[in-house]
Amino acid sequence: MNHNKLKSGIIFYSLATIIAIFMLLPFFWMISTSLKNSGAVMTIPIKWIPENPNLDAYKRVFNIFPFARAIFNSVFVAVVTTLITVLSSAMAAYIFAKFEFKGREVLFSLYLATLMIPKQVTMIPNFLIIREIRLLNTFTGLMLPSLFNAFATFMLRQNIKTVPDSYIEAAIMEGSSQFKIFKDIVLPLIKPTLATLTVITFMEAWNRYLWPLIVLTDRSKMTLPVGLSLLNGQYGEQYNLLMAGSLISIIPMLMVYIFAQKYFEKGLSVGGIKG
Amino acid sequence: MFKRISILLMMSIFIALLGFSSGVLAQETVEVDFMTFSGSGENLEYLNQMKDEFEKENPDIKINIITVGYEDYFVNLQTKIAGGLAPDVYELNYENFVTYAKKNVLKELDKTIDAADFNKSQLNEKALNAFKINDNQYGLPFSFSNVVLFYNEELFDQAGVDYPSSDWKWDDSLAAAKQIRDLDNNIYGIYQPVTFWEFYKMVEQNGGSIIDTEKNEFVINSPQNIKTLEYMINRVQESNVMPTEAQLSGMQDWDLFKSGRVGMIVTGIWAFPDFDKNIDFEWDIEVEPGNTQKATHFFANGLVMNKDTDKSDEAFKWMSFLSASKAAAQIRVESGWELPAITDQDILDEYTEKTPPENRQAVFESLDYLVTPPVIEQFAEMSDIINQQIQAARDGLKTPKEALNEAQEQLESTIEIN
Amino acid sequence: MIFYNKKNKYLSIFLFLLPSVLGLIVFGILPMLGSLTLSFSEWDIISGPPKLIGLDNFINILKGNEFWRVLNNTLYYIILYIPLILISSLSLALLLNNKFKGIKIYRTLYYIPVITSWVAGSLIWKIVLNPQFGVLNNLLNFIGLQGPGWLYDQTWAMPGIVLASIWKDVGFFGLILFSGLRGISPTYYEAAEIDGANSWQRFKNITLPLISPTLLFVIIISLINSFQLFPQVMIMTQGGPNGATQVMVERIYKYAFQYYKMGYASAFSWLLFIIVFVVTLLQMKLQKRWVHYES
Repeated sequence: MNHNKLKSGIIFYSLATIIAIFMLLPFFWMISTSLKNSGAVMTIPIKWIPENPNLDAYKRVFNIFPFARAIFNSVFVAVVTTLITVLSSAMAAYIFAKFEFKGREVLFSLYLATLMIPKQVTMIPNFLIIREIRLLNTFTGLMLPSLFNAFATFMLRQNIKTVPDSYIEAAIMEGSSQFKIFKDIVLPLIKPTLATLTVITFMEAWNRYLWPLIVLTDRSKMTLPVGLSLLNGQYGEQYNLLMAGSLISIIPMLMVYIFAQKYFEKGLSVGGIKG
Repeated sequence: MFKRISILLMMSIFIALLGFSSGVLAQETVEVDFMTFSGSGENLEYLNQMKDEFEKENPDIKINIITVGYEDYFVNLQTKIAGGLAPDVYELNYENFVTYAKKNVLKELDKTIDAADFNKSQLNEKALNAFKINDNQYGLPFSFSNVVLFYNEELFDQAGVDYPSSDWKWDDSLAAAKQIRDLDNNIYGIYQPVTFWEFYKMVEQNGGSIIDTEKNEFVINSPQNIKTLEYMINRVQESNVMPTEAQLSGMQDWDLFKSGRVGMIVTGIWAFPDFDKNIDFEWDIEVEPGNTQKATHFFANGLVMNKDTDKSDEAFKWMSFLSASKAAAQIRVESGWELPAITDQDILDEYTEKTPPENRQAVFESLDYLVTPPVIEQFAEMSDIINQQIQAARDGLKTPKEALNEAQEQLESTIEIN
Repeated sequence: MIFYNKKNKYLSIFLFLLPSVLGLIVFGILPMLGSLTLSFSEWDIISGPPKLIGLDNFINILKGNEFWRVLNNTLYYIILYIPLILISSLSLALLLNNKFKGIKIYRTLYYIPVITSWVAGSLIWKIVLNPQFGVLNNLLNFIGLQGPGWLYDQTWAMPGIVLASIWKDVGFFGLILFSGLRGISPTYYEAAEIDGANSWQRFKNITLPLISPTLLFVIIISLINSFQLFPQVMIMTQGGPNGATQVMVERIYKYAFQYYKMGYASAFSWLLFIIVFVVTLLQMKLQKRWVHYES
């Protein structure tokens, strides 16, 4: 028995590690490039180890635009957007999953429909709407559309559908309000999915740059990806600066992911309701 | 936990709404909004120097600079214009200038130029004329560039070939390229991208053109043009003095030159600062070789004014300062930020005396042979069609004749020449 | 499901849906209606308001070759991508759902491609897929096969894009499926082990049915996304070679922002919409046959 476990363990680890290295190659390239001078960056064959590794690119990136300010803005926008999205989508998903009413499927299909139109042709109409309600160049205008997220609502609806009706009906028998049921029964049962959604929403909010680019004109309100896009010039990009900035940008997303991992453990232990 | 989240949520919304209220603006000065792509990234420093200089001379005007990276610039600009928020002055690259001017989006400048007593002779005539449509001035040149032949002196020495001279023709450069190619499997003779921007100019070097301006029709598949494309493609496919896309595998052309792996490269003079900083070997430039005649690339970014601006006098002051003032030109030359389009000999001498490269005179010589690309409204569609066809030929997927015939067909059916 | 009374039920529905539906109407439906109007118009964005031209855009698009050609390219991508992403992300989710030591580190590592920029990704993939000295063709040679020209070959460029896309997305969909797996109560597996079921039977009779709601989600989202394939095509092949990787959204972007034909681009988008809508509707109807919700 032990021999088998050892064998499957070795196979597992070798396989997992080979795949991991392969998936991380571009990431290694990013690190290597960020430590290079602006000389020949894209050489073939790839110079994995830079000749004079230095933090010059990182220093310069901090000077090109208000970098620290941009990080702060990005954190603010991503956190608030994620909170708004997860909350409003969970509330809507609960209804779509568990409440029957006339027109429910039609309404839900409207949600899905919004995912099927390319953003390229709805961007300008969205911009004009924000302009009409006088929220251009404001963080409110930037984040208001996040009240609605079809992807999030769909994902949570699928998950809430798997929560047994009996749990909810039992709570209704005991006289709990819907709000309490939502908070104390439904939400805890979908913790892994909520954690996943938080990770995904944070990442998408953090990386968005076309929408913030056109809505915010104050340099002081700039988010990090917008700042990095300033680096692309008419005649080509400075890859070392771009990669340095991108790597810094990756860190918060990674942090959120690692933090969310512990909620994947908790998911299983909540099934302690007698039913 | 829920309570904490809702408090956090409310606080965040509150802070967001705070950001909504903007500060009070001083109303004595006139604010001019200026949007640019070439002044972003590290060039912003030099643009700010120009702004400081201007605001010193014009204390009642304040310039509000909006920079956007090149790739997203036009989407951003178009969105602003659609929302009625066009900047007072903005930058356009040449091809978009043509489209915007023909669509009547720009302010016609002739009256403003007269009212401001602007001396047109300060500016290079060819550059200034490029921003005229049907004899009306719609823009001023912001910066000016052209494309020359760069060469690696060491590789030439190794191959025992004479350096390029200004009377070289296609055959001369091909011969030199072949000898350098023979040096090593990893070393190429020349790199000149097979793109619309190179093609339109090379057809003129061979006495052809893309559009017949008298008959007002496309003539892209003329026999001379086919010969031109064959020349360009054979360098890749036959003699392989120029690498195929697969051989390049994503490497940038400048990196190819900087790493000493190609003898000659045809690229823009905006490479000077980068090459200066990062190249160890000796290099220099020469006017690009022609065939039946010389033709060099016209490359300019222009400054235009929003047709609906209510600050046209102030806006023009800023535009003309950027374009024609000695102060702005000085900043450009010192920082190596492209070439100012002015005629002031002092500035031009200062530019010529800076090295490397030694032969800066070639930059001005090239200006004598400038050809502008075809100026039509559907510029982007046209260049995409041509690009797709000539690159298919470059990659060996069709012959140059087939490529140009297909291009002719597509151009005739989708593009209006106006 | 039972409720207190109708009033409580409908009040809850209203209050819970309000923020989301408000956003749906203002930032979802309204812009869509805007773009629908544009699809019946001619608009270059910069020189004034749109001009209605009726069905001209739709007629021109459907009459021409380009629409059908890029639809074909897009379908080629989808046929290759969807099965591969489903199999690989489910396998990844199962792999990561184990209790091996250090599994958390691997979970993090597999997520990194999702947040890596396409600039870095495309450079590496161009090298991996290089016909002469790329890793992939070298491996194929090793086992006696002749590797194709990948990104420089009209038939093999799209499969190259598919491979790069799998690399980027497997961590994303794997994460979603993984969270679905986490929701499966271990009591089911315990009961099955007592009954003597082997791992294949456990997978088929417990895992698959219980993860089917999440699986449906992944199928629909990955389908909708793949019809809208865009960034990797722009960065890796720019639509080449010879238009072999031009896809729907690439054309829409060009018409909207580079050719000054926003009306045409909108009509193109609505034709795409109809196709995606029909496909999704089909998926939703079929789900009754294989998706199990607990109740």
